[in-house]
Amino acid sequence: MKEFKRDRIYYNYRKAARLLAYGVLAVFGVAALTCILNIVLLVSAAVVYVNTDSVYIYGGRVMESLTPAQDGYTLDREMEEEFEQKDQWAMLLDENGRVVWSVRKPEELKDEYSGADIARMSKWYLEGYPVQMRAWDDRIMVVGMQKETMWKYNIEFSIPWMYFVKRTMLAFFLINFIWIVALAFVFTKRFTRNRERARIEWIAGISHDIRTPLSVVMGYADTLEHSEELSEEARQQAAVIRHQSVVMKELIADLNLTSQLEYSMQALRKEKVRPAEIVRSVAVSFLNDSLPGELEIEVQIEKDAEQLCVKADRQLFVRVFRNLINNSIKHSGKSGSVEIRIAMWEEKGKCLIRLEDNGVGYSEEVLRRLRSRKKDPAGENIRGLEIVKKIILAHGGEIRFGNGEDAGSYCMIMLRRGKG
Amino acid sequence: MNLYDSKILLVDDEKALREMVGGFLRRAGFHKVTVAGNCLEAEELFALKEPHLVLLDVMLPDGDGFSLFKKLREMSEAPVIFLSARDEDENRLRGLGLGADDYITKPFLPEELILRVTAVLKRVYRVKSLQEQETIALGRCLIDLGSGVVKWNRDGADIAEKEITLTAKEYAIIQKLAQERGRIVTIDALCDAVWQEENYGYENTLVVHIRRLREKIEEDPSRPKYLLTVRGLGYRLV
Repeated sequence: MKEFKRDRIYYNYRKAARLLAYGVLAVFGVAALTCILNIVLLVSAAVVYVNTDSVYIYGGRVMESLTPAQDGYTLDREMEEEFEQKDQWAMLLDENGRVVWSVRKPEELKDEYSGADIARMSKWYLEGYPVQMRAWDDRIMVVGMQKETMWKYNIEFSIPWMYFVKRTMLAFFLINFIWIVALAFVFTKRFTRNRERARIEWIAGISHDIRTPLSVVMGYADTLEHSEELSEEARQQAAVIRHQSVVMKELIADLNLTSQLEYSMQALRKEKVRPAEIVRSVAVSFLNDSLPGELEIEVQIEKDAEQLCVKADRQLFVRVFRNLINNSIKHSGKSGSVEIRIAMWEEKGKCLIRLEDNGVGYSEEVLRRLRSRKKDPAGENIRGLEIVKKIILAHGGEIRFGNGEDAGSYCMIMLRRGKG
Repeated sequence: MNLYDSKILLVDDEKALREMVGGFLRRAGFHKVTVAGNCLEAEELFALKEPHLVLLDVMLPDGDGFSLFKKLREMSEAPVIFLSARDEDENRLRGLGLGADDYITKPFLPEELILRVTAVLKRVYRVKSLQEQETIALGRCLIDLGSGVVKWNRDGADIAEKEITLTAKEYAIIQKLAQERGRIVTIDALCDAVWQEENYGYENTLVVHIRRLREKIEEDPSRPKYLLTVRGLGYRLV
């Protein structure tokens, strides 16, 4: 049983891993993009700030370049030029609110300010002029700009509200993050599904387009093969063409089926089927088409397993047993007669089917390839068996291939019982 | 009506395929074959020629075969065999109660096509005569499938020694086996034939019916010569 488990887990893991990888990639992609965008915005904000906001003169610098003199104050020459250049003005108020010094002060402004005036201008504007204030000992330095050049706003929040924000900020970011992740998942899923669908449709389209011309090739090759006007050699060549076109037909069907099984589970048309009935009908169809003594199929179905039903695509299950029996016939070895034993029984509500033959058995290489998920197109062609495996896995069943103790190969299939 | 006098309408958009299939049908003896390349043509020719059978491609340049099929069915009950190049169609054809008589997946071999066409024609147009005429000879006994009576003859004698009537179930079994004479018929297929749907668990009852049937048709029912058991699989009439 060990091998089965490995196969299945590996299978599910691979599909999940692929999806997860896409998801992670997308999340990181979105995150990186967001980061880059943020940085760009920040940098541009800084550049704009440096170019516009920081060029203004503020109180501190004015105070540094202002020196007390006998009849008031003197401003450095440089600073004065800067005021000129930047079209700003400044004034110094003493403890009584009187203007004791000023530079380029607009004429409409008063020379004395009450406590209420000072309070107002500190928060808002002074007669429409945006002002900056700086306390200097008991004096106040007021640096102003022209109207409509600076936006001012005071903010204040209650401490409880700030606490609330502090506590909820983390949750807020977390929710945002989850939202982004979910969005990324949805997008990648849709993206990959669309890609899968496109691929399946592409293969279906191609196989459709090949089938009609192949019908013509097959039909005329068959006609030539039976034509009495042709030489024996030509007829044989026609037979080869016909045979090869049948091979191509099977290849196309396999390609289509493989792509559907690999990329979309929805392709299955599940219905209630009885494996016992399918096994018997496939066995009989082989026996009816074989010559006497050529093929022997022994079918043993336990009474409990007889009525077992599973949910499955009937046509695909027929395919499973056809492929297995075909494989046994192909690898029958030298003995000439093929003996196949099919046993079916019930175990813990599961349907078990074991098919064994007296052929040459699987080679080590074939077994290794059947047990791994890696695609290895080199070596012996085991497409038929790979399809068997895919069909069983797609139905949630388990499968194991191996060699018998004496001779021949076996294949164990375990199917889950269908509900209802 | 002679089978080969049946009028056949072939609808496919691929000219090479039309010519080839038309050729096969003519060579097989069907001399009244008409071809159409699209839905419009097919509808016109269908109304004009009143074919006995239509071979219909699923994908046509001016519509799909399924809707054309519905239109044709409104006009007449003539049997239709679909030609399909897509596996997806197979699902639809198999599952859906479209009422199509058969379908063939491309690519196909000529024999397959001729076989299907002949089978459908026989089934649809000559189904009665087939049953009426059929009798099966098994050694000294003769089963008349028309009346469901088994006649036992002494060697060489013309008059039946004794006549046994088959029950409905025995009749269904022997009919199914006779259809596939020489081939194995699975237990499941026999159950299907006798009890139709929902026949789970009738295998044991089938065994009883087979035993009674053997008592009626075999000289030595415990050592059957004609109705053979294929262990684990089914039965075969030789």
